[in-house]
Amino acid sequence: MATDLDDWFVREILAHERALVQYLQRCWPQRDEHHDLLQEVYARVHEAAGRSRPTTPKSFLFATARHLMADRARRARVVSIEPMGDFEPSNVYLIDERSPERWMGARQALKRLAESLERLPDRCREVVWLRRVEELSQKEVAQRLGISGKTVEKHLAKGMRLIADHLYGGGFAPGDEDAAEPWAEAEEDEGHARQQAD
Amino acid sequence: MHDSRRIEQTAAEWLARSDAGDWNERDAAALDQWLASAPRHRVAYLRLQAAWREAGRLRALAAGLPAGVVPPRGSWGRGWRTGLADEARAPDLQDTVFTPRARRDARARRWRHALVATVAIALAGSVGWAGWQLGGRQEAQYASGVGQLETVALIDGSTAVLSSDSRLRVRMTRGGREIALLQGEAYFDVAPDPARPFVVVAEDRRVVAVGTRFSVRRDHAELRVVVTEGKVRLDRAAGSDGRATPVSLLPAGSVATAGRDGVLVRSLTVAEAERYLEWRSGFLAFEDATLAAVASEFNRFNTRKLELADAEVAQLRVGGNFRWAQAEDFVKLLELGFPVRAERLPDRIVLHSR
Repeated sequence: MATDLDDWFVREILAHERALVQYLQRCWPQRDEHHDLLQEVYARVHEAAGRSRPTTPKSFLFATARHLMADRARRARVVSIEPMGDFEPSNVYLIDERSPERWMGARQALKRLAESLERLPDRCREVVWLRRVEELSQKEVAQRLGISGKTVEKHLAKGMRLIADHLYGGGFAPGDEDAAEPWAEAEEDEGHARQQAD
Repeated sequence: MHDSRRIEQTAAEWLARSDAGDWNERDAAALDQWLASAPRHRVAYLRLQAAWREAGRLRALAAGLPAGVVPPRGSWGRGWRTGLADEARAPDLQDTVFTPRARRDARARRWRHALVATVAIALAGSVGWAGWQLGGRQEAQYASGVGQLETVALIDGSTAVLSSDSRLRVRMTRGGREIALLQGEAYFDVAPDPARPFVVVAEDRRVVAVGTRFSVRRDHAELRVVVTEGKVRLDRAAGSDGRATPVSLLPAGSVATAGRDGVLVRSLTVAEAERYLEWRSGFLAFEDATLAAVASEFNRFNTRKLELADAEVAQLRVGGNFRWAQAEDFVKLLELGFPVRAERLPDRIVLHSR
């Protein structure tokens, strides 16, 4: 049931999630609203692209984010911007359509996936390993680990979310030199909060 | 939990269920219905599905390990590296990959942009540039009369447009670009130069930019900053008590008003923000403004002032686009559409309610 539109969305839009998250974090002080903003931006882009495919997907994505934030700010009418730390020259950013973030080679992709696997909670990691790496069926995984089928499903659902966040959202493993970036820390916090919530 | 989180959670449950062995047509129909019921559902599902498909690459990790045993954390780390050192086994990994490029690359690219821009400016203004390098410092003052706009090309390649009755003092050094707004309002189109921040100072407030477009205006105790492109920082010199003061970051579309008590920021679209700057093309734009506010705006541009005789007339609400040079036409319009009577004196026009 995947359509051309869905393929286009995965290829041209999801690829920019990390930059988009960073952009939202710079422009929108309410951190607990970023997840919601991101989903709304995606929904608007997917809907609009269903009518007519934008020629410059990345610009369109960021423009959509800008409009959404403007809409919400207008609804609140007066927004007081909180102090947001120092503003260095290097913080001025450009959105460059000519160099899409089409990323690195296969080895690095695998490295990132492996990192995301490594960061999963223990049981979740075991389930994902057996299902995705060894390709056992969910039923076989349940038997191997002596847990119910429902529990396997639950662990997989969690693993799917955490892997997507790491893969697209750009969380980093501790020790990575980029881990010092504030937004990377935010991603980490979120991961922890989620794991505890489950 | 926000709705967006709940949706993502539900999407993950669907994906995990469809991955189980007992998926049937009825399930598929139910999933289709869920996906079709809201665009948010579909995008949340697509995102997880794409990542999960991508995770199929993890099969490569199993190479050389005994089947059916989950390796302890980290133990396979060396394994997959050596496995991949053998390029021959990489072909199944050659598909498009969805992992962000390292951030540093993006930054380096931006830096290159800035460099190119700086070089271009240096060539364009080479004569002035040389003079500046010899002296190391340039200072100049600019002023506009009432009802006049002045466009000034600054030595760094930036442009300033002075509104009516405004004064600027510009000081360029090797380390920075400092513009003091002594009076009135000015609009700046700043040439990018990451090494030399462009700072507009008005009393104790500072507006800092690197390469962007914005205007700054002084009005009694208030400062107004309108940003139409890029981003600027609004801050304040440290007070006598040495306390750090909050900093506001203003993206394009911001209209910030800084008073004695703090900074209010309105986030508008760029088009809306630009309405505040229509004086550059000869217009004043109002939307449901009091006649008092409109009159004081006209008075910035005209020597023949508009005066309001009573509180009633001051409270009338006015909207529209008017040429600031034609205050008398505006007054005629007022007389036609509002309960207003104008008393025309040589040096001013007094408006009475009737």
